[in-house]
Amino acid sequence: MSVINFKTNIYDYLETLPIFTFQRLFQKPATCLAIFRLLPAIGRQIVMSILYVENPISLKDIQSWVYKDGHKKLQEALHKLSKLHILEETPEKGLIVNSTFRLEFKNALSGGGEHQSFGLPCATVDKHKVDIAFLDHFASTQWEAILHYMVGTTMTKRPSRGVLNLLQKSDLMNSTASESGLHITNKGFQFLLQDVNTQVWAFLLQYLDMAEMLKMDLVEVLNFLFQLGSLELGQDYSVETLTETQQQMLEDLGDYGIVYRRKKGSRRFYPTRLATTLTSGTSALVTSLSKKETGTAASSAMIAAAEESHDEGGFLILETNYRVYAYTESPLQIAVLNLFIQLKSRFPNMVSGVITRESVRNAFLNGITADQIISYLQTHAHPQMRKRAPLLPLTVVDQIRLWEMERNRVEDKAAYLYKDFNVQADFDAAEKYAKDLDVLLWSNSKQRKMVIAQEAHETLRTYIKRRLAGNRDTG
Amino acid sequence: MVNAVTGVLIECDTTVKAIIKNLDSKHHFIVDDLDDTHVFIVSTWVERLKSELERLLDENAYTISDPKDPKN
Repeated sequence: MSVINFKTNIYDYLETLPIFTFQRLFQKPATCLAIFRLLPAIGRQIVMSILYVENPISLKDIQSWVYKDGHKKLQEALHKLSKLHILEETPEKGLIVNSTFRLEFKNALSGGGEHQSFGLPCATVDKHKVDIAFLDHFASTQWEAILHYMVGTTMTKRPSRGVLNLLQKSDLMNSTASESGLHITNKGFQFLLQDVNTQVWAFLLQYLDMAEMLKMDLVEVLNFLFQLGSLELGQDYSVETLTETQQQMLEDLGDYGIVYRRKKGSRRFYPTRLATTLTSGTSALVTSLSKKETGTAASSAMIAAAEESHDEGGFLILETNYRVYAYTESPLQIAVLNLFIQLKSRFPNMVSGVITRESVRNAFLNGITADQIISYLQTHAHPQMRKRAPLLPLTVVDQIRLWEMERNRVEDKAAYLYKDFNVQADFDAAEKYAKDLDVLLWSNSKQRKMVIAQEAHETLRTYIKRRLAGNRDTG
Repeated sequence: MVNAVTGVLIECDTTVKAIIKNLDSKHHFIVDDLDDTHVFIVSTWVERLKSELERLLDENAYTISDPKDPKN
């Protein structure tokens, strides 16, 4: 199965950057804060503890802060911090916070220093002020337009050229010579099953890659993304403090629904929820989006009820008999479900279907894995389902995994079969030799037969020849 | 004298092994029947074997969604 894992993690991306890029990134307090928020809890704890310590601290001292069984986690956290160049090692084996990071992060916390890194709120009142509900709506329509385009529903408008370009560059979709337009790829199917925040990051990382190609300044792009993460929803910000590159980015980000501008060239922009949740975990956004989807056409009473019970934002009910009831009317979600569920009937506010061997196999053929299906069902489970433990019926989960395993019932490996050894000792020696080379696939000492990997054939043949020749000489 | 034969090592469960043996009785592609879960076959037969297996296993799979069943 050709499953390419899609890079969705900003960490992995940051870790690949050279140190001088970090030095420049750290110059912005907002970026420092954003990176800090992305750290694991232990990492944050360490940074906070030694941020105000001007002298290097020895590793031993830091290790004495934790119990013995926590050492491994501490080590991981320290490793991560040094990879992100937040912690630096001095020649005397001490650890110290990177000086730029220390200075600017302190600024971020205490509000000192140059202030525009967190965005400059507009001084004047916007005549066309928009509220949060509008921004949410804007964000979800823009973002869903992209997803809709990917799954091929025709009801929404085509995304802009920039978006299409990005989809193609990132291999989420590709064009075939025979047909016009773009087609979704394996990677694209996997992408659809992720939660929104992961999707946005995946998209932005691709954007970063492209920015490099377009010779945009990477540091400015990253700074701007991190800055967006710390802006306040519903507040309008001035474009004046932005560099040219960043103003250019505004246009692209508008296409994704991450920022809103009333028109091109407008002097102000609004970050949407997609932007403000970038660095603060996933839950907020998912909830808000699915709430909207369930809410748009339903009666107001239902919205109220939904808002009470929909804290988890799920809409799927999966029964032990493989039936799925999805309380949604979003064509997007229905299209995603259609990837691995055989849909049977559709009602104004719900669809029902069955998970069958056939439907799941189709998903596998598209490169989706059993784990992805299961985690999708899990994250979108209806609150009613959440009352039970385990969350999903075990029979169904097991069966999905079995169906996946069934596809790989035979394993084949190109190989060479060695047989007809005259002497047991010769066989044993050859077997041991193959084992030492780690190329032995199968052997039976009684039958004096063994199977080795194809690529090792030459090596083993020479070995056996030499041994047999040696035997003849001595014997 | 030691002999080396090229081919493909197939690792499978015993059920599939039985099907392979059955197919072999018609087509003769097995080089050496190693044990319950391993069999050594001619390399040109791998793809054919896989599709045959797929077909046979599909025939024997139980599907809950029978399109002819009006209840569904």
